[in-house]
Amino acid sequence: MTDFNALLRLLTESSVEFIIVGGAAATAHGSARLTLDLDVVYKRTTDNITRVVDALKPIKPYLRGAPPGLPFDWSVPTIQKGLNFTLITTLGALDLLGEIVGGGGYEQLLSDTIEVEIAGVNCLCLNLERLIVVKRAAGRPKDLEVVAELEEIMNETQQYRDESS
Amino acid sequence: MSAMDNVEKVGPGEDPDPVIEAYKKNVDVTLIRENLRLTVDQRFQQLMKLQQFAEDLRHAGRKARER
Repeated sequence: MTDFNALLRLLTESSVEFIIVGGAAATAHGSARLTLDLDVVYKRTTDNITRVVDALKPIKPYLRGAPPGLPFDWSVPTIQKGLNFTLITTLGALDLLGEIVGGGGYEQLLSDTIEVEIAGVNCLCLNLERLIVVKRAAGRPKDLEVVAELEEIMNETQQYRDESS
Repeated sequence: MSAMDNVEKVGPGEDPDPVIEAYKKNVDVTLIRENLRLTVDQRFQQLMKLQQFAEDLRHAGRKARER
């Protein structure tokens, strides 16, 4: 189980700069699909990486699917040397992404975000239009299934707006 | 290779993909309408309940196989 609320609160209250992407972003926009992990794109500055490392240390991040006992050092140099980390923590599965296919990094995505309130904290979430673009670019069958649903969400939202105006 | 090398230029709604159009037939629009009535926070509470339900089902399946 992934405690989305607790993870988002932890990142936000630690002043980590991040954007919700992937299945959790789809949920924010109204997707009915089950997602098991939280995907976030984080800003790759030294200050922000330091905040990420400090915030997650208490929840014991470890490489998801890796055999136990590897000498995985959760530290600023480790994050700086890598880019995308698929992690398991005591609060659940967290994908910490420096870049995403079809979207790039934090700075490239920032102008295509909306602010959402989840569990009493405000977080940035990729907007629906850009989420569709990155999911199309990812191109796996499961991503295209999500695109189909997201495009229906966009149609429904548009219809609702048309009826309201 | 950077992820930026693969930036998709096609925007939503453009260039309909036959695969995506085929998948749309399986989308339950009634569930979408229900979700759109909820706040973002409520959508996440629902997601976590669904996760718990899926976990309970997996657990029940494991127990049934052990019998």
